Amino acid sequence: MAVVQLKAIKTIEYKSPAIENGYANQTLALDISELSVTIKPVDDKMKQTFIGGKGFDLWLMWHAVKGTTKWNDTDNTICIASGPMGGTPGYPGSGKSIVTAISPTTGSVMDSNVGGYFGPYLKFAGFDALEVSGKTNSDAVVLIDGIDHKIQIFESEGLPEDGYALSAALTEYFDQGKPRNISVVSAGPGAQNTLIGCLNFTWYDAKRKMVRYKQAGRGGIGTVFADKGIKAIVARWDTVSLSTNAPADKDALKKVAKLYSREMVELDPKQNEMARVGTTHLVPIMNDFDLLPTHNYRFGSDPRANLIGKDVFQHLFDPGFDGCWMGCTVACSHGVRDFVPFTGHYKGTKVFVDGPEYETIAGCGSNMGIFDPYTILELNFYCDAYGLDTISLGTGIAFVMECFEMGLINETHTGGLHLNFGNRVAALELVHRMARGEGFGKIVGQGIRRMKKIFAEEYGADAAIMQDIGMESKGLEFSEYMTKESLAQQGGFGLTLKGPQHDEAWLIFLDMVHNFMPTFEQKAEALHWFPMFRTWFGLCGLCKLPWNDIVPEDNKDTMEPAKVMKHVTWYAQYFTSVTGRKATPDDLLTMSEGVYNFQRIFNLKMGFGRREQDTIPYRAAGPVTNEEYESRKERYDGQLVEKHGVDIEGKSTAEKVAVLRKFREEQYEKLKTAVYERRGWTPDGIPTVATARRLGIDFPEVLEVLKTNGVE
Amino acid sequence: MIIADGHGHPWQEGMTVADLLNKIDNSGHCAVVRLNDRYVSLPHFETTLVPDRSEVFLLPMVAGG
Repeated sequence: MAVVQLKAIKTIEYKSPAIENGYANQTLALDISELSVTIKPVDDKMKQTFIGGKGFDLWLMWHAVKGTTKWNDTDNTICIASGPMGGTPGYPGSGKSIVTAISPTTGSVMDSNVGGYFGPYLKFAGFDALEVSGKTNSDAVVLIDGIDHKIQIFESEGLPEDGYALSAALTEYFDQGKPRNISVVSAGPGAQNTLIGCLNFTWYDAKRKMVRYKQAGRGGIGTVFADKGIKAIVARWDTVSLSTNAPADKDALKKVAKLYSREMVELDPKQNEMARVGTTHLVPIMNDFDLLPTHNYRFGSDPRANLIGKDVFQHLFDPGFDGCWMGCTVACSHGVRDFVPFTGHYKGTKVFVDGPEYETIAGCGSNMGIFDPYTILELNFYCDAYGLDTISLGTGIAFVMECFEMGLINETHTGGLHLNFGNRVAALELVHRMARGEGFGKIVGQGIRRMKKIFAEEYGADAAIMQDIGMESKGLEFSEYMTKESLAQQGGFGLTLKGPQHDEAWLIFLDMVHNFMPTFEQKAEALHWFPMFRTWFGLCGLCKLPWNDIVPEDNKDTMEPAKVMKHVTWYAQYFTSVTGRKATPDDLLTMSEGVYNFQRIFNLKMGFGRREQDTIPYRAAGPVTNEEYESRKERYDGQLVEKHGVDIEGKSTAEKVAVLRKFREEQYEKLKTAVYERRGWTPDGIPTVATARRLGIDFPEVLEVLKTNGVE
Repeated sequence: MIIADGHGHPWQEGMTVADLLNKIDNSGHCAVVRLNDRYVSLPHFETTLVPDRSEVFLLPMVAGG
C-alpha cells in the first residue's frame, strides 16, 4: 500500500443540518483555485422545480458557467448530487449520483449517472449537491467529513496514479477502522491525458474486504476533474438506515420498499437473473436480433458472440452479493476475482475487475471484433484504473480500426500498431498509449469528432466517409446498440440532450421487434414519454434498472406493458413517502419535463441545442458500404421494393445504397419534426416560451436565452 | 412434461419453442425465453426444439441498458 502524504491547506468546520424529507436543504461550493468553501441554501422553489440530483446540478451549473465557458476554463464547474430518495437502503437502486460539467468532447452540458456511496454520503454529510470550480497544481484531495463536521482541502504528494490504487489508499487513510464509511471519487492518468476521462466512485465491499468501483463514464467529466488538479474527493459518513433520509412517512416508505424489494428477489431469478449475471444476458439477445454492434457498427451479429456473453461470464464472475448501494436487491455489479493481466503495470498481478457490463463487452469486445472474454476483462480493468470511459474508448477504437482497414490511416500514423479488427494485443497497447498521452494514443484519446478532423487534415483521409462511419453525435460516442432498423431508436440516440447514450430512451424492441409504434406520431409520443420518465430517476438519486428490467408477472396483461405502470405507481408512492410532496405518475413526468427542457435551453446557452445538432452519422440509420448492404441484401432489397416501391431491377448495389439512404434520411428528418412538435418545441428544436412557462422554468435569464435565439 | 413459468405443459416429440408459446395464453409479445439456462430469441423460436422435462421462463419485454 502506498504511503499517503497529505498536508491540510484549508479546514473549515460546519454544523450539519438535520436531513428533512430527503433533503439537506443546502449545497456546498468549492473553488479549488481560491480555496474557498461556500455553503448555499436550497429554497422551496429550487426543490419544486428541479427536484434534486441532475436538476440541482444543472441549476447550480447554469449560474456557475457563462455561454462562452470552455471545458478547461476555471469556471467550468463539476456538480455532483444524489437526490431526495438517494441513500434509502432497501428500496432497490437508491444509491445513484449524477455528475455534470461542460464536456471536453461536446462543449456543452454533460451528465453521467453512477452508483457507489458518494452521493448519499455527501447528502447525509449535509449537502444536497457539490459544486467544484477553479484549478490547482497541488494534486488536491478534498475531504467532506459528515462525522466530524469538517471540510478539508489537502495538498498531496506521492499518491498512486491509477484510480484503483489511489482510491484504496485514500480509503485506508481516512477510514479510521471503518472503511464502509468512506466513498472516494477519483479519475486517473487516462483522464488527464485524453478527453474521454471517467470518474470512479467507490463503495466498500464488506464481504470481500475491498474497495469496489462504479464509473461516471460519459462525456469526459473525469478529464475536467483531472484538469482541475484534483486527485480525489472523499466523503465520510456513518451508519445509514431508513430513517437517515428523515422520510415524511416512514411507514409508507417501509411498505412500498418492502413490496418492491420482495418483487426483485422473487422475480429476478425467473427473468433476467441480474443478481447472477448482471447485464451480460443482453449480449446473446442483442446478437440474435442483429443489434450487437460488431466491427464499428457495420453488422449486428457475429457467430462468436456466445464467447463473450452470459454463458461465459456467469462462470467468471465471483459469486456473492454485488449491490452498489446498501440493500439493493438487483445487485448487478459483478466482478471477476484473481484476474491476471498480461500487459501494463499490473502485468502478472492478481487483480479484481469490477465488471464487465454489457456496454463494456460490446464496446471493448464485439465492436472491435474482439471475442475473447479475457481481453475484454483486461480492457475493462485498465480503463477503470486509468479513468477512461469504456464506451467512448470502445466506439473510438472501433472507428480507428475501420479507418485502418479502409486504408484511411496506416501504421505510419498509428505508431506501428496494426489496428485491424480483432487485434487484441494492438488494442491493449493503444489503451496504454492513450493513458500515457503518447503518440497516436494521444490522438485517439481526443474522441471521434476530433479524430475525424485530424485524419482528414493531417493524413488526407476522406472526410465524407469518416462522417458516415464515425459513430458520434454532438461530439459524444454512441453507446453500444445498433439502430439501423429502428427509426425510433435513431431518435432515441439523435434527439438526446447530451449525445447518443441510451439512458434517455431504449425503444429498439418496442419499435423493431414488436412494432408498437408504426406511425411518426406514435414514435414521437414514445420519444416524449420515455426520455421524460427516465430523466426522473436522475433527479431523485435512483437507478432505472429496477423499473423495467424486472417486471411484475402480470405486466404483460396491462395496457402498456413497456411503461411498467405498476412500478411507476410505486415510484410515485416512494417519492411522496420520502418528500411529503404528493405525486401521481403524471406528476413524475412533469417534474422531468421541466428539467429536461431546462437542459435543452442550457445547451442553447452553450451554443448548441438546435435541429442541426440532432444529426446522426448515416451508419446509425442504414448501410454505408456495399458490403453492409450485401450482408443483409434480402432485408434491404425487400424494403426498397415493398416499403418504398422502388424498381431495383438492374440497379447496382451502390445505387441501391444511395436510394435507401435518401429514404432513411428523409424519415429521420420527419421524425425530428414530429418529436419537436410533441415536446412543445419549435421546428428548429427549441422549447417555446409557452413550454417554458407551462413547466415553470420561465426564469428571466432563461427567457433571455430563448429571445437571443429568436424565440419569444 | 415441460414447466413454463411454473406451469406444467405436456411435451410432444418435435416440439419447438414456437409450439410451446402457442399453447400459452397471452405470450404474443414474448421475444426471448430462457430454456434450461440458455437464451432463445424470437428468430430461433421455430427451429429450437424443447426437450422433455425442460424448464422454460418467458422473459419480459427487453428493456435495454
